[in-house]
Amino acid sequence: MIIMPSDSDKPHGLTRRELVRLLGTSAGLACLAPLAGCGSFWERQAAIPVDSWHKGVCRFCGTGCGVMIGLKDNKVADVKGDDDAHNRGRLCIKGLATRDILYSEGRALHPMIRKNGELQRASWDEAMTLVTQRFKEAIQTHGPDSVAFYGSGQLYTQESYTANKLFKAGIGTNNVDGNPRLCMASAVTGYTTTFGKDEPAGCYEDIDHAECFFITGSNTLECHPIIWERVRDRKRSHPTTKIILVDPRKTPTARHVDLHLPILPGTDVSLYNAMIHVFLEENFIDADMVEHYLSFQEGEQKRTFDDFKRHIAKYQPETAAKTCGVTARDIRKAAFLFASSKATLSLWTMGLNQQVQGTASNRLVSAMHLLTGHFGRPGATPFSLTGQPNACGGVRDTGSLAHALPNGRLVANPKHREEMEDLWKVPRGRISPKPGYHTVALFDAMNRGAVKCCLVMCTNPGQTLPNVTAYREGMEKTFLVVVDAFHPTETTKFADVVLPAALWVEKEGVTGNTERRYHLYPKLVDPPGEAKSDLEILVDLATRLGHGDLIVTRTPRDVWDEWRKVSAHSKYNFEGITYERLQKERGILWPCPTETHPGTKRRYVPGQDPMASGTGRFDFYGKPDGRAVVWLDHQEEPLDLYTNEYPLIFNTGRILEHWHTMTITGQAPTLKDIHPDYLEIHPYDANRFKITDGDPVIVKSRRGEVELRARLSDIVQPGMVFATMHSARHLINQATHDAHDPFSKQPAFKRCAVSVRTKTA
Amino acid sequence: MARTHQQSLIAFLTVASLWAVPAWAAGAHDVVSSEDIIRSIGIAASVAGILLLILVQYVYRERLPHGTYHRLLLVGVFLLPLAATWSTTATVMEGTKSVQACRSCHVMHPFVNDMTSASSPTLAARHYRNNWIAKDQCYACHVTYGATGTLAGKRDGFRHWLHYVTNTYPDPIQYVGSYANSNCLSCHQGTEKWERVKSHQTLVGELWADRIACITCHGPPHPLPRERTVAVASRDASRGTAGGLHGQ
Repeated sequence: MIIMPSDSDKPHGLTRRELVRLLGTSAGLACLAPLAGCGSFWERQAAIPVDSWHKGVCRFCGTGCGVMIGLKDNKVADVKGDDDAHNRGRLCIKGLATRDILYSEGRALHPMIRKNGELQRASWDEAMTLVTQRFKEAIQTHGPDSVAFYGSGQLYTQESYTANKLFKAGIGTNNVDGNPRLCMASAVTGYTTTFGKDEPAGCYEDIDHAECFFITGSNTLECHPIIWERVRDRKRSHPTTKIILVDPRKTPTARHVDLHLPILPGTDVSLYNAMIHVFLEENFIDADMVEHYLSFQEGEQKRTFDDFKRHIAKYQPETAAKTCGVTARDIRKAAFLFASSKATLSLWTMGLNQQVQGTASNRLVSAMHLLTGHFGRPGATPFSLTGQPNACGGVRDTGSLAHALPNGRLVANPKHREEMEDLWKVPRGRISPKPGYHTVALFDAMNRGAVKCCLVMCTNPGQTLPNVTAYREGMEKTFLVVVDAFHPTETTKFADVVLPAALWVEKEGVTGNTERRYHLYPKLVDPPGEAKSDLEILVDLATRLGHGDLIVTRTPRDVWDEWRKVSAHSKYNFEGITYERLQKERGILWPCPTETHPGTKRRYVPGQDPMASGTGRFDFYGKPDGRAVVWLDHQEEPLDLYTNEYPLIFNTGRILEHWHTMTITGQAPTLKDIHPDYLEIHPYDANRFKITDGDPVIVKSRRGEVELRARLSDIVQPGMVFATMHSARHLINQATHDAHDPFSKQPAFKRCAVSVRTKTA
Repeated sequence: MARTHQQSLIAFLTVASLWAVPAWAAGAHDVVSSEDIIRSIGIAASVAGILLLILVQYVYRERLPHGTYHRLLLVGVFLLPLAATWSTTATVMEGTKSVQACRSCHVMHPFVNDMTSASSPTLAARHYRNNWIAKDQCYACHVTYGATGTLAGKRDGFRHWLHYVTNTYPDPIQYVGSYANSNCLSCHQGTEKWERVKSHQTLVGELWADRIACITCHGPPHPLPRERTVAVASRDASRGTAGGLHGQ
């Protein structure tokens, strides 16, 4: 088309210069598109928009994964793994669900007092006045031992520390226990009887160096999935790495191992003694260890290595095989792989801890490492896995247990009591010399009426106690104050006062995970309703009970500063873990005595552990002679033998998607539809008892019965059934046994005899 | 006379085209891929087109018959540029899919090094060494499934290139936005291993909406910033699986 020039003006349309200018402006504007909200055309967008990211730690298990928490409009909107933490950005499905937990249904929003059998809304002042009055009455009338504190491995360190101090140095009772008694107590006694000090010697990084993994009593894939992925990574990188699993069930973990020993529950002592038998037979013993670093003991008696050899001679693999229900060949193979690898790492958890010989099993695993020299080198260490985020740092290290005092001290030891009285600046003699009630004894004392008032924080004993029906009466009778983020639970059912607690990042605190790593949870959002942090509640109670002058540190930061300075007077020394470091770093492993110390990966190794002295291979400074103890432990007759009336062994555990009593995970929208109410039964037994898949069945023990739905599965062996601990709809603890380990007092949840029948039968 | 001129012109253009054949000819043992051929044709067509136009317009114009002049102009102005355009498009759309193309920017070296390492436990390395993805391993997981997936992938590539040449990328580089799980799900969903995990089934909506990332539990897909290494790729890198790093 030709534009005809006219004499009046320029042509209609654009000149070339204008066109170029227009194109240039358009291109420039296009580049600004992302700023104008059209960014999705330019780059990928986040599915969940977030205003800011903050460093924190997962709410759930003892792995203590680092998380990044995304806030949007002052609410937690998204949670992802922290690339800079030990979990390398990984989280399991429960960790991902933390983005929803604060806003799920069932949060306790205001204090409640039971009036005429009903829990009714009350003000904080009303509720706390009542609690104070009842505690004071009980203490004045029946003495300090008539009140108790039942805590949790989920409270922050500052909270457990403050409760422990208030009850032991303020009120004057050692009735301070908590759910770690059901969880890690046997690991504690295992470590302390062997090394003199609690907590593992190694760290997660050892997984990256191990050539053989000995996993016993742990369904690591489901219960510690992030640790399991690290184990798998080691195997992926070094396919010659061997994984041995000892577990009565063919769990999902068992699908990925090189050797699986499906032993009968409660026969661990035989198995480990038999493996040591092979070490002796095949000359796998590290003579230097025996000569310089080990001592031998049986009960109160010192023994020699020759005594030990005579003791082990009774545990030939062929004999143990019959006890344990596995082949002698597999025991020998496991022992060979364990001892001959360049670095062997053992992992274990509830399978070992929750049995009547829990302590013996724990220390025998440590003994296997010490005798073969698989200790204190990268990749070579015994390493227990913890179930709760702060059982280690919060309860075990602060000594918030009935027999304990902070940093490995014992109530029964007068010197330890005096040390703590001085550190807590209370008169000598304030701390009672009498150990308090351990968990089962505490609830038994409530049954008997010996304990009048109990403060329960952040745990659900109404569901988790073994043989729970027997203890519910006591909970009913006692003046029970339950502090929880959720209501109702199986415990608030029996509460006289319910106090709403802040959850996770609604409060600030420090926790210590499985590998002695202390790390910080920031407060990012406000708690819902009238909920308060457990620390605020404890400080308020202390003041009202007249112990305000004892509980002088009242903020998370101040309590932490007090606590790390107390630790400086012990071999746990973490005075160097300051709040500033916790805010900046992804947690630090104690011992860490100075602010410039990087933390300790391997304890008892001179040069690595600042507490160890000398120039030898090891310094077991927890023992007066510097030698770790190898114990002569005998296999006892397993608990609750099966009979014609109760022909099956009942085993309990967890699944990947739920945690403990489902108080939190049962409300999370991503997890709540996964139901754990089933009974795994082998098709052989199902046929024997005329049960088909999906049948409602009654599991009956000598103590009680529970209804579940049958799931036919070869995960369990014939002769054994399995159910999870999660559901409140079907309380498996109505059937479990409340027998416990004589040293750790940890109940044997993993074994009892039951019968199974269809519901209609 | 005209014929002689035509013959010499064709001979000249042939030599010029051969000159444009790229370096793959030197490595006789290497496999020649279709992208290489297409790219060579494009380069040859561009060079030939430019030369043809110069020669026809400024050197031979007076000596060529009128009809031949017009036909050669048609070839130079239309047909050869068409071939060059086709080749360019094919190269941009196909050639940039290769691991080699991604590796051509040095910021990608740590990722390719890790992927081709025999001992790396990252998702990328496991998919690579087990041949779970036959070719174009970077592209296979970084283009999105669905109607606009290719567009989004190409746009990302263009943006990356733009940031690279203008030196405006963050160091260490980070993935922008939510990774599309559809890349994982389109292969894994429905397999026996995937189905037996209960939470996969209850989370399927969240997974497809990218509100929960597969790689959170199963990652990391690539080395984390502190694990990235620019060292020379291990010898495993040169083993030359299909579409991989042949020609290194």
